[in-house]
Amino acid sequence: MLIIDGHLDMAFNALFHRRDLTRSIQELREREDPVRSGLSSHPDSLERRGDSPYTLYKGVTTVSLPEMRRAEVGIMLTTIMARVQAPSPTTHNACRTRHTAEARGRAHLAYYQALERRGEVTFIKSKDDLERSVTAWENPQPDTPVGLILSMESADPIDSPAAVAEWWEAGLRSVSLTHFGVNTYGHGTGTLGGLYPTAYPLLDAMRETEMIIDLTHASDQAFWQILDYWDGPVHASHCMCRALVQGQRMLSDDMLRAIIERDGVIGIVFIDTMVNPQVNWDKPSTFVSQAARPMQAMIEHVDHICQLAGNSRHVAIGTDLDGGFGRELAPVDMDTIADLQRFLDLLRRAGYSEDDVAAIAHGNLLRLFRDNWR
Amino acid sequence: MAHQLIIDAHLDLAFSAVQVNRDLTVPAATVRTQDGENVRRSFGSCTVTWPELRRGHVGIVFGTVMSRIDPNDEWTRSAMYCQDQCHGIGRGHVAYYQVLEREGLIRFIHNVSDLNELVDAWQAPAADTPIGLVLAMESADPILSPDNVAEWWDLGLRMVSLAHYGISSYSHGTGTEGGLLPRAKPLLEALAAAGIIVDLTHTTDQAFRETLETYDGPVAASHHNCRALVPGQRQLSDEMIKAIVERDGVIGAAFDTWMLDPAWEKDTPAYDQATSATLDTVVDHIDHIAQLAGNARHSGIGTDLDGGFGTEQSPRGLNTIADLQQLPDLLEKRGYSAEDVTGILSGNWTRLLSRTW
Repeated sequence: MLIIDGHLDMAFNALFHRRDLTRSIQELREREDPVRSGLSSHPDSLERRGDSPYTLYKGVTTVSLPEMRRAEVGIMLTTIMARVQAPSPTTHNACRTRHTAEARGRAHLAYYQALERRGEVTFIKSKDDLERSVTAWENPQPDTPVGLILSMESADPIDSPAAVAEWWEAGLRSVSLTHFGVNTYGHGTGTLGGLYPTAYPLLDAMRETEMIIDLTHASDQAFWQILDYWDGPVHASHCMCRALVQGQRMLSDDMLRAIIERDGVIGIVFIDTMVNPQVNWDKPSTFVSQAARPMQAMIEHVDHICQLAGNSRHVAIGTDLDGGFGRELAPVDMDTIADLQRFLDLLRRAGYSEDDVAAIAHGNLLRLFRDNWR
Repeated sequence: MAHQLIIDAHLDLAFSAVQVNRDLTVPAATVRTQDGENVRRSFGSCTVTWPELRRGHVGIVFGTVMSRIDPNDEWTRSAMYCQDQCHGIGRGHVAYYQVLEREGLIRFIHNVSDLNELVDAWQAPAADTPIGLVLAMESADPILSPDNVAEWWDLGLRMVSLAHYGISSYSHGTGTEGGLLPRAKPLLEALAAAGIIVDLTHTTDQAFRETLETYDGPVAASHHNCRALVPGQRQLSDEMIKAIVERDGVIGAAFDTWMLDPAWEKDTPAYDQATSATLDTVVDHIDHIAQLAGNARHSGIGTDLDGGFGTEQSPRGLNTIADLQQLPDLLEKRGYSAEDVTGILSGNWTRLLSRTW
């Protein structure tokens, strides 16, 4: 069954972690194996000798294009990811200046364009493109390109409202204003505060297009400020339920209801720290570095959202599996992104009908785009 | 004597901003306070920012797009595994320069009239005179194929080296043995057709010869010193220098002490050793080329001062790139005429560019 992953950071992985995503998982893992390579596990730390106290762990990779094709993860939302945030040893991937953020953002775009040139992916910019990709995945071939819907995690690379049209033209279809920290347009995860005044003209410009706002990584205040101001489509590409795991990174029931009311969708994230009730995202000291739960734990969040909505129309998949962690923090019964097909089996076993499973696997995200694109 | 225009034919400004994550709009001393310990260890104390260039009247720079393939890069850990990655990073570097041009800080030099305007403006620069940027590329990996050359030309690309460290998609480079790869020939043809200068820096000896045999367009060695003074593949032999002179090319003097000081130990961290090289040592290399050529028309400046090192690995006495303004006096002391000095500091590069376009 076709699966749409609503949140991946493919370009970031290719350009920052230097992963050639057209290769097999096995090859990427061998390359990065610290014993084999003699390197620290963070090859792009810009460390020349690997003896720094600041080497960061990026995880055992679980995502590559062949792996996605193998499991019919045939369409993805994948990001431009280059936020401005004061750099520190723990925010190694943040940009110090907006100059850098825009440059990295454009680099991400160019990487996806190079993949498209090679036939690895195909940009989905319109309803027609979308239907073409869906049709192709009804009868996939070994070389069927993965459909790519361009998203942006933190809007820093958008220089001004005037630049929105150009990004739309390039294919950008979903934008979250913020990410971790305090960013150009407002406050993101882990900070207290809301939007900055510059966010509103940016939202105006995005409303001129058919952009969808991603509420993931908005601070609580920013979340409600966006919903107060923005009357366009919304989703939360990769978010879980605060009723089950504490912390601002998760959505409260009120927030979930607000998204459901707008006919938005919420993408289930495949990381242990968002299904582990011992973790509180507002207290980094509670974080764990090793997963202890199977994919079954994600179903509690699926259930919670479906119970609030009264139906299965608002849950999607937004794995974030390449979002700065790897197999060690993914569910224990998950080896690569290909195991998402087994997650669908778990949904079936949990009593979800075939229609429900199809909605969660791809139907709800398809509806989001079909309803909002001309 | 009033400051005079200096052209630096090799700086990796975009890499410094985009990968090293430096804010290059502030003085070098400020960057030094902002860099984390990991950056200081790997890249040294910053010497190159836009205000420092301005202070040193380095009014025109060749700024690189820099991303190479090298699966065995355990040294800089920034090399890539496939050309798509290099293309992405490379386009990001162009985007960085474009952002700065939009803000008026720099101006792309696409043709002779852009060049002349910038050279004129820098005779008596105002506080907001933009720094001129000639877009260059170190290792041609971001060019996906010969039919991708036109796109890069439109973006402003005017000089390309086929390789860097390791083996690129097109050629063997520094630290390896071998020549051009089969894909080099069609690329060189496309570069010649577009009128893009081939930068011979970082080619192996064999690739150097093969490039000159294959390519009949304009050549340069953007940041390259003399093997007669400092042994090693990274430097140009006298024979190679003569070959470049014969083609009326220009050789930029590099300011990395590894290329200036035969006693420098590449495998020892820069902060654990001290060099005896000074700016006078740089002049030795300029002079060696001039003696071989019989004139000063083939020497230029190509500092590479942000090429992965800082003050620790720069000539003694150089605090920032603004100190390039010490060069006119040093050259004069060696007996170079005012005309020769201007040629070395800017005129030889402008001649090469004007002739090419």
